[in-house]
Amino acid sequence: MTAPAAAYGKALDLITRVRGVRGAMLVSAEDGIVVAEQLMEGIKGPAVSALAASLATRLRRAMEAAGVGASLFWHLQAEQGALLVVPTPAGTLVVAVAEPDVNVGLVRLELLRAAEVVG
Amino acid sequence: MSLVNFTTREITCKIVYYGPGRSGKTTNLHYIYGRVPDSRRGRMVSLATQTDRTLFFDFLPIDLGQISGFSTRFQLYTVPGQVYYNATRRLVLQGADGVVFVGDSQARQLDENLESLQNLQSNLLEHGVDIRTIPLVLQYNKQDLPRELILSPADLDDALNFRGVPSFSADALHGKGVFETLKGISELVLKKLAAGTAA
Amino acid sequence: MTTRAVETWTLEPLVKFVKEAGARLVLVMTSAGQVLAQHGFSRAVDVMSAAALGAAIMASTDEMARELRQPPFAALNHQGERHGIFLAGLATGRGRLVALVVYDLDVSSLGLVQLFFEQLAADLQAASPKDSVPKQVLAADFERQLSDSLNTLFGR
Repeated sequence: MTAPAAAYGKALDLITRVRGVRGAMLVSAEDGIVVAEQLMEGIKGPAVSALAASLATRLRRAMEAAGVGASLFWHLQAEQGALLVVPTPAGTLVVAVAEPDVNVGLVRLELLRAAEVVG
Repeated sequence: MSLVNFTTREITCKIVYYGPGRSGKTTNLHYIYGRVPDSRRGRMVSLATQTDRTLFFDFLPIDLGQISGFSTRFQLYTVPGQVYYNATRRLVLQGADGVVFVGDSQARQLDENLESLQNLQSNLLEHGVDIRTIPLVLQYNKQDLPRELILSPADLDDALNFRGVPSFSADALHGKGVFETLKGISELVLKKLAAGTAA
Repeated sequence: MTTRAVETWTLEPLVKFVKEAGARLVLVMTSAGQVLAQHGFSRAVDVMSAAALGAAIMASTDEMARELRQPPFAALNHQGERHGIFLAGLATGRGRLVALVVYDLDVSSLGLVQLFFEQLAADLQAASPKDSVPKQVLAADFERQLSDSLNTLFGR
């Protein structure tokens, strides 16, 4: 990661200002540890980050096996919300936890902008 | 504290070789390692400095076989002898079931032996152990050196063996006394276990 | 996968932990480095050496904490190219124990290990009996057997 720590907060601000986003995190994809977070109460940051990183590893393998290259964005829709992730080339996951009816397109855009900021 | 597994009937005991720098603690373990068949010993781990002085400890697990229906294992540790490393020396003593004090028989090393013995006493106390109650044997190493350089086992007993514990003269480099010392401490440790005070 | 336990109450939590965290091996040992239980791929390391070294690392860091006049550090992690090790203290009815976790970086991660370790610590604390280990009395003739064993060991 190349951005200074102060930039992480700004990157997360981009995401959490979208209506329906309940939290955003920067996660080290390699070790599943939270780098920075802005989460509403009730979201278990360490658990989401560890499991999202684990999922990212498996997804990467699946993408490689399918011969479609690295994943650029994933969106997991659940009954009570959604998990949206953009992996950066430097090995960070930009993660958003959102309400079920969030504007996915807008969140995706902000995740991509945040990913550019953190590198 | 001896570890007793009643299900698989196994006993594991921790024996620590203590003493001043260059008294021959690691040499004792090297000799044991060399003599015991592969199938009855584990890997010897040595955490040493670049000049082969013990930095933290040497570790050698050996399998004594069946004793009284229990498969018995001893884990042998040495401590770093140099005064400088007291913090790590104290850590290795933690949970020891028995101590072999390896003294250097050279007359000019007598003060170092006494200092190390006092250091053993105070480090044991830090772990809440009284030196008078823990199984302890003394080994007077380097008895192979010329007589004019060394003290006799009797002189060393007078100077160091205030508890009157078993003592053994040794030449650890060539193996003399190493086996007897190990046997001596093994008996004391298992006797204590048999008396039900070590569990 | 192999499982060995001196005290069986440790087993269920360990098996669950290895499965959930994707760990390669977990050892539970006394602070003196004696293994109480193990589960996972024991060929991952030389178990006895790993326990002695792990306990020594924990003892060193506890001492560092004491120097800093603070309670013992909760855990420490070392990450290599392919494997990581995670060491942490455990409060149980049997006193303070030490856990050593070996994990593969392509299967698990520090985050996963940390996440499920909290549960392991709670499970072990809940499962540990409060009574002390029963005292063992060896048969009176152990000295002869000891002597025979040592003689064999040293080829005498």
